[in-house]
Amino acid sequence: MTAPPAAELEGITKRFGAVVACDDVHLALQRGEIHGILGENGAGKSTLMKVLIGLVLPDAGMIRVSGEPCRISDPAEAAEYGIGMVHQHFSLVEPLTVWENAILGERIRLDAASARQRVSEISERYGLDIDPDERVSDLSAGLRQRVEIIKCLRRDPAIVILDEPTSVLTPGESEQLFAVLRRVVEQENKAVALVSHKLDEVLTATDRITIMRAGTVVDRRDTTDADAPGLARAMVGRPVSLRSEGAALGHIEALDGEAAAEGSESEPSAESAEESPVLSISAATAKGRDGRVLLDGLSLEVYPGEIVGVAGVEGNGQAPLSDLLSSLLPLESGTVRVRDSEPVPGRPGSMAAAGVAVIPADRHESGCVLDMTVAENLTLVSPPRSRLGRAFLDRAGREAVAERLIEQFGIQTSGADAPMWSLSGGNQQRVVLARELSGDPAVLVAAQPTRGLDVGAIEYVSERLREAARQGVGVLLISTELPEVLDLADRIVVIFRGRIVGEMDRAGMDVERLGLLMSGAQEAAAS
Amino acid sequence: MTTAALAPGAESARFSRTREGATVLAVYLTSIAVALLVAALVLWATGGSPTTVLSAMLDGSVRADARWGRTISEAIPLLLVALGTTVNAKAGLVNIGQEGQLFVGAALATYVFTHIGVSGPFVLILIMLAGVVGGAIWAGIASALRYRRRMPEVLTTLLLVFVAAQLVGYGLKNSNLLLDPTPDQANRLLVSERLDPSTRLPRLSWFGNEFPVSAFVALALAVVVALVLSRTIVGFRLQMLGRGPRTAHRAGVSESRYGGMALVVSGAFCGLAGAFMLVGGDFGNYRLTPGFAVNIGWEGLLVALVARSHPIVAIPAAFVFAALRTGSGFLAATGVDRDITKVVQALLVLALLGPPAILFVRDRRRALAAARDRV
Repeated sequence: MTAPPAAELEGITKRFGAVVACDDVHLALQRGEIHGILGENGAGKSTLMKVLIGLVLPDAGMIRVSGEPCRISDPAEAAEYGIGMVHQHFSLVEPLTVWENAILGERIRLDAASARQRVSEISERYGLDIDPDERVSDLSAGLRQRVEIIKCLRRDPAIVILDEPTSVLTPGESEQLFAVLRRVVEQENKAVALVSHKLDEVLTATDRITIMRAGTVVDRRDTTDADAPGLARAMVGRPVSLRSEGAALGHIEALDGEAAAEGSESEPSAESAEESPVLSISAATAKGRDGRVLLDGLSLEVYPGEIVGVAGVEGNGQAPLSDLLSSLLPLESGTVRVRDSEPVPGRPGSMAAAGVAVIPADRHESGCVLDMTVAENLTLVSPPRSRLGRAFLDRAGREAVAERLIEQFGIQTSGADAPMWSLSGGNQQRVVLARELSGDPAVLVAAQPTRGLDVGAIEYVSERLREAARQGVGVLLISTELPEVLDLADRIVVIFRGRIVGEMDRAGMDVERLGLLMSGAQEAAAS
Repeated sequence: MTTAALAPGAESARFSRTREGATVLAVYLTSIAVALLVAALVLWATGGSPTTVLSAMLDGSVRADARWGRTISEAIPLLLVALGTTVNAKAGLVNIGQEGQLFVGAALATYVFTHIGVSGPFVLILIMLAGVVGGAIWAGIASALRYRRRMPEVLTTLLLVFVAAQLVGYGLKNSNLLLDPTPDQANRLLVSERLDPSTRLPRLSWFGNEFPVSAFVALALAVVVALVLSRTIVGFRLQMLGRGPRTAHRAGVSESRYGGMALVVSGAFCGLAGAFMLVGGDFGNYRLTPGFAVNIGWEGLLVALVARSHPIVAIPAAFVFAALRTGSGFLAATGVDRDITKVVQALLVLALLGPPAILFVRDRRRALAAARDRV
């Protein structure tokens, strides 16, 4: 008999309302192995891992740790069973130092010296180089993730779960991370689960792969037996063209030659050079309230009918750029021009009035109002005014507009007067999309427009962006998902530390150079 | 999630208006029943009779001669304060300085009638305007501090209550400001001059019950506030600001303009309440006194809370709170200890305040859960 697996999930089923996130899923994590869990956004990977860490209670199924059945109802219990997780989104307290963050949540007497030492020990043992006394607010995304990993490893877990760990990392930082994981597995016989939707990293970093689709396991193989096209087919459930496969699934190499080939065939909007841009930002500089530089002389132009992708590692100015175009960020210097007007940055509603539509990265924060009805949300920017007087609402008109948009954008809701919070995420995004596109905008800013959406919704949103561009809207796509940018954009600009450091069009696509630009290497070499 | 997330009406079917209404009603009934039960136990344990107390409360508030007129008189300023509070609450702002805004409004109104030198019905309009301006200025200070200096309005409005008490108190000690200058009066009380009979608000007398005509002004204003909130662009944008400030900013709602306006309007309503109390005659006998506000500001805030910021619901809520005030006046005759009557009154207030809090927490949780599930 071989030893039982470090952790075993059996027949896990979890529903959210009518949606089955996990449907009778089996998974075994072995010691000394990195197990890749591959699937598209919404395939059920994260839910499955949340079941293992105790954040989600399954409707059915069983968990065994080292062969013993157990019930895990919160992360503290999971920790007792030796399970630790590094989450996709950081949960660090910025004003605190690295070691202070590492011991947060521990119920022990505070002993600074030993805590510091413990952090140093872990960072040495796993090659996670970091200064325990550094403040987290001063750290880059890559280093912050190291802190998260140290937090997780400090309890010496037997099972380590990483949820989409590379979404905020440069390719170089990702490689370092995988080297650390390999060390953890080989030296200490731990079991690692790596959740990802990126083919290339699963192929390079794992020993075994489980592929999930629509809540079920569709395939399992050893990494040595797997290849990119096969995995892609299993993930999507149908043969996919090489280009969209690469684009949708993060296999950048597949796209490389293909993109160049397509670029040479199709004429990249040649006449756009003669037209004037619908959006032009020049030398935009902005500082946060704490004095941090958010935008540092950022300049970019968007012409009518093109999709400009803003690529970059998260935290390099994408959010401030989106805020700027949502009238949420005033500038210290620099200007924004939209068609022939020059809206004042930061003044309420100025950008919307000038014709800038925005699909924000966090729709709950600046895209919709959860406590208002669907109809109200569809008419937030320019509510229909009554014939009785401009100060009055035209309530019947609002209902009519709402009914039309609900129909036109296929929004699933119990009615125009249903509260926004009763809609699913994909439908909330459709409401935002419907409102923004119905305003006949000159520019459409889409910030992470597909984050957290299911496959169907992603396709829908992507198609709507293309459609908007075809109708002459200038589309600015701000995304940290490089494949998404490569798939949709006619032209790509790279954002690094609040400025645009490089640009390339479809014909001149060079993924390697793109990666260097994103990590700031080009910048360093130039200065 | 999977493509099943797009199945028609799958999740939104959870929302039903009828069920929502039934839940709210059930929560209120349970809460009031529990409060009455506890109140009965407290009375019984201290040797009182629950039925006698209830009967006394009813006598004092509606049954006895001229009592429901008195209750209406007290309900008028409570309703006005609650309406103002509704406006700032809709904008997501917390004003807890109604007592001070009301007092300053009444004081400015007093200053106007004692210094204008003439009297007559047209001065009445001027007095009420002065009340509105006084309350608006007092809330305006908090508003300016909020939007120019980022000071939380919760603190400033509250602290300004005490400043108002000191300020008006000072005015009531100086005969060139508010103090009644009548000479050779022994044991001078710190009160203002009495309002000239020609400058008083007309009082209606129905079935032996008297109340000032300001009751109809307050009712009309409740309807106006309800209409402005639900039917106008300003009302829509105000609510947008309260429920999603960043979204509102992007959609063109200036936080300082709408929020500042909401706070000033809130203060203006309190100031008007103060002026009406002065010219109506039910409070202070047409004179400004040091304790003139008699908790109307605080209790008006409670009325708005109980009415869950709904202007029309505030009308009956104001009447109930006024009935608690007038009814407890008759409790002394029942032989029940005065402090016990306050406990009973507080229990009823809690019973009415509990459900909005419970429902608020429930809504928050539901919204948070919805947000978490769907990110």
